[in-house]
Amino acid sequence: MNKFQITNGKTIIKPFNKIWFIIAILITLVIILWQFITYDPSMIDMSQLFVIVKQMFTPKNTILSQRTWGDYFAFMWELRNPLWITIQMSIGGTIIGSIFAIPFAILAARNVFKNKYISVPFRFIMNLIRTIPVILLAIIGVAMVGTGVLSGIIGFTVFSFGIMAKMLYEAIETVDMNPFEALESTGANKFQAFSYAIVPQIFSPFVSILLYIFELNIRASAILGFVGINGIGEVISVNRLYNYDRVGAAVIVLFILIFALQLINSHVRGKLQ
Amino acid sequence: MIKFVDVTKTYLNGVQALKGVNLEIQDGEFVAIIGLSGAGKSTMLRSINKMIEITSGQIYIDGIDVSSIKGKELRMLRRSIGMIFQSFNLVKKMSVFNNVLSGRVAYHSTCKTILGLFPKQEKILALDSLDAMGILDKAFTRADQLSGGQQQRVALARALTQEPKVILADEPVASLDPITTIQVMDDFAKVNKEFGITIVANMHHVDLALKYATRIIGVKDGLVVFDGKSDEINDQTLVNIYGRSLKHDELLGDPNE
Repeated sequence: MNKFQITNGKTIIKPFNKIWFIIAILITLVIILWQFITYDPSMIDMSQLFVIVKQMFTPKNTILSQRTWGDYFAFMWELRNPLWITIQMSIGGTIIGSIFAIPFAILAARNVFKNKYISVPFRFIMNLIRTIPVILLAIIGVAMVGTGVLSGIIGFTVFSFGIMAKMLYEAIETVDMNPFEALESTGANKFQAFSYAIVPQIFSPFVSILLYIFELNIRASAILGFVGINGIGEVISVNRLYNYDRVGAAVIVLFILIFALQLINSHVRGKLQ
Repeated sequence: MIKFVDVTKTYLNGVQALKGVNLEIQDGEFVAIIGLSGAGKSTMLRSINKMIEITSGQIYIDGIDVSSIKGKELRMLRRSIGMIFQSFNLVKKMSVFNNVLSGRVAYHSTCKTILGLFPKQEKILALDSLDAMGILDKAFTRADQLSGGQQQRVALARALTQEPKVILADEPVASLDPITTIQVMDDFAKVNKEFGITIVANMHHVDLALKYATRIIGVKDGLVVFDGKSDEINDQTLVNIYGRSLKHDELLGDPNE
């Protein structure tokens, strides 16, 4: 199947075998099919979904708490303070983590440091850090400095570091190395050649990764309230059992923020092209 | 003056690219190196500024033994030698002006260059170089907006901004169309005559080499098999260099035909 015989009788073997790819697809299909076969329709109550969605996006109206749409929007307005805390923590973590990631990314890039005794250990450290889920990082942050803005910044910093280091070294590895050679031929040293031939090529990927990480941090902040990080996540975790309307208001505010960020991201990326 | 003394180069994979090259290039010459691909042209050129390290022998530039120097001394030497590449080797996302100015970085400390602090007269020098190449109006466009011929002129302007004594050109027109090729070669001739800069160029097209260069060096299997004035070249010498008669693609022909 992977051996070809051409007209004059010579043969050549194609090294890559498709069989593993096919096996992987088959296993996946079996798992999915198994889920369908063993599925019990009575387990799921779809009506509950609509009940909760309705409770989230309408003011709570029970005997104990009778709230109006005015209260709903007033609460959204009150959310500006926790939201501001979330933004501060995300920006702080994004910037600090990304700055720390720059030297690691350079050391891990094989086109800059051809010696694999340098790149392999740095890649290992980066991969190790990236395997830690953000919620665990937040727990460590809270354990170190207690609840508050600082613990959030610590969690986001490590999280941002892992993503930036990985994405930036991949961006560095795709740059055109020819200008580097040209700069070295002018007598520039390695630092000068790097800053004139490579930095201009990775500037725009750096900015778009930075914006992407900021967006990821804002998203992650929604769940970090559960481990004691302040901000919008705290509002969600405090109200999650009885005040679905407040959770809903927080979700809407977060949605608007993330949507706005996406618009800014695509605008900036368009400018950088 | 550039002087090769018994220069050999053996690559790690065992390929012997140069097998004992001896030659002398005087200041102000326009030298074209011709020969089959794989004959050692590129190795010869790149060993002059030590972009490739030779295995044995010596290369002297104005009396300095290139093979014995390294670090700052080597960078000072490279600063006085411009280099032109087949694929232009510009930073495509950077402005033409900054590309040309980057020819100056070796004149300054690392700190100053990282901050982009260049004296005003060097910025003027960069613009003068662009003007000499006829593309001053493109100074503040991004390099990737330019045509191939214009990009090679930017590369020439970058080399000129180094204020070099020598310009090495590795297949400078191999990725250009015939008409642009003539224009860029005219620029090389201008750099050679007006600025008095020595030019050593690897050329694929033999007729171009004969038209522009004052001296031809024929290389075959890592050895110099011809060295003389362009008008001394005849069909027999070309057969000696190429081991066969020329192929159609080794001649540019008349682009205006």
